[in-house]
Amino acid sequence: MSTAPGAPLLALERVTKRFGGLTAVREVSLEVRPGDLLGVIGPNGAGKTTLFHVIAGFYAPDEGRIVLDGRDVTGLPAHAICQRGLTRTFQIVKPFGNLSVEDNVMIGALTPLTSTRQAREEARRVIDVCGLGPHASARARALPLGLRKRLEVARALATRPRLLLLDEVMAGLNPTELRGIIELIRRLHADGLTLIVIEHIMAAMMRLAQRIVMLHHGEKIAEGTPREIASDRRVIDAYLGEEFVLAEA
Amino acid sequence: MRAGLARHPGALVIFGLAAVTPLFVRDAYFLDTLILILLWGALSAAWNVAGGYAGQVSIGHASFFGIGAYAAALLGTRWQQSPWLGMLVGVLLSIAAGAAIGYLSNRLKGPYFALSTIAFSQVLLIVASRWRGLTSGSEGIPVPFRPGFGTLGLGHVAWAYLALAVAVLYWAIQVWLDHSRFGYRLAGVREDEDAAQALGIPARRLKVIAVTASAALTSVCGTLWAQYIGFVDASYVFSVDLSVRFALNAIIGGMGTAIGPFLGSILITSLETYLRATLSGMKSGLTGIYLIIYGTVLILVVRFAPDGLTGLATRLRARRVRVRA
Repeated sequence: MSTAPGAPLLALERVTKRFGGLTAVREVSLEVRPGDLLGVIGPNGAGKTTLFHVIAGFYAPDEGRIVLDGRDVTGLPAHAICQRGLTRTFQIVKPFGNLSVEDNVMIGALTPLTSTRQAREEARRVIDVCGLGPHASARARALPLGLRKRLEVARALATRPRLLLLDEVMAGLNPTELRGIIELIRRLHADGLTLIVIEHIMAAMMRLAQRIVMLHHGEKIAEGTPREIASDRRVIDAYLGEEFVLAEA
Repeated sequence: MRAGLARHPGALVIFGLAAVTPLFVRDAYFLDTLILILLWGALSAAWNVAGGYAGQVSIGHASFFGIGAYAAALLGTRWQQSPWLGMLVGVLLSIAAGAAIGYLSNRLKGPYFALSTIAFSQVLLIVASRWRGLTSGSEGIPVPFRPGFGTLGLGHVAWAYLALAVAVLYWAIQVWLDHSRFGYRLAGVREDEDAAQALGIPARRLKVIAVTASAALTSVCGTLWAQYIGFVDASYVFSVDLSVRFALNAIIGGMGTAIGPFLGSILITSLETYLRATLSGMKSGLTGIYLIIYGTVLILVVRFAPDGLTGLATRLRARRVRVRA
């Protein structure tokens, strides 16, 4: 199961996804190594979420290859990708609304585990890690957005992924919630989890990510450390704007 | 499940009463109502496996009911076979049909799935009414009464216990869905299919399994019903009315709960039997009035207990706890 040292955990090779005449993702290549925390940024409609859909098996790419842990997973259905260790969350949260928080997370835990008793224990542990302890028995749909975003992460974590894809888990949160979830992502990363994070909040991204990939019109136009990205002319023109550069300086 | 019925007081009361009643009551009319409550309850429980637990709401489950009813009636009358063999054949045919319908549910969502199930039952209705050589068409098939367990020629008391056994078995299957890995994952699929898939659940396979199992369970009851009533005709066993009834009991009682279909059946079956018996005898003008009352009750339930009687009970209990606190 363990990846050879230095080998990428996930590799995309010239991945393209079209919808009719629109090319949502165009020949994107990237590599994620074990322990990485890769950020994906880009304006609205740049193809970030589509890229997640393709990586996680919700869309099959029209061209290109996706290699997870040395195995070609191109075209595999979403559940099979998850079973191979890659779990994603949804930008628009998708809680199992009528079920309790604990049951939500337990359903995630039942992917690696077959015993419901063990899965429930695992769910309680993950719920505590994610700071959802006081809400364990609440109905998922009754939670405020900040906690639903955390639930999204908790449920994904319960599947015991080696690579976790977070799609804008910070969007719409207040500053307190934001600090909490950044802290959570930091802790997960420190514990050895590999992550790809889509985020619009640049300040958070600069602090979290080791590397950042910038998408624009479906193409990867830049990749580098946060510092390199922040000073990249194309990124500034397409996305950040001059104010950001001035504020950072 | 370890403590069995003791952990389910509602089920204990319902099935306990059903078990005790035939010991003291020998009135055929009363026992008939009991048998029908249990059979309709079991049928709704079978529907609930797909509609309530998997979220695959079918309005064509009469298809499987009719397949079960016809399989046993035809094998019995034309080839002198035991209805138990007919039940088995019906189950196998329903598994094939259920898998086909279940597969459709992967392509069609929500109302489109429900409509396609109606269409399927209508096709079977037409085939059964037109294929006179085999089914005697709209004349129907009388199922001869041949005493004995092997031929399902039973008295009212024996039928009551047979129906009870089936009801308890179907209830237990639902309880298993409440507590098992399969059931939890199926609940995930029902609540949000995309999220379920993202969490590693093969959503499509689970839906097909649930719909197929539901079809097989429905078929078994179709056979039993036909043998009990003693007559099978296409316009009834494949009717939309019947499909709606399966769904309705479960919706009224509480979809996706083990006891819900039986609560719904107790309310609807006893109401219907009582109203029909008391009102239709009086004047011919009142023949259909039970439908109006039946409809009114339905509206009241949907208005005041949209998540069924079990949902209403949960809410009342929650309110009592809050008042006490």
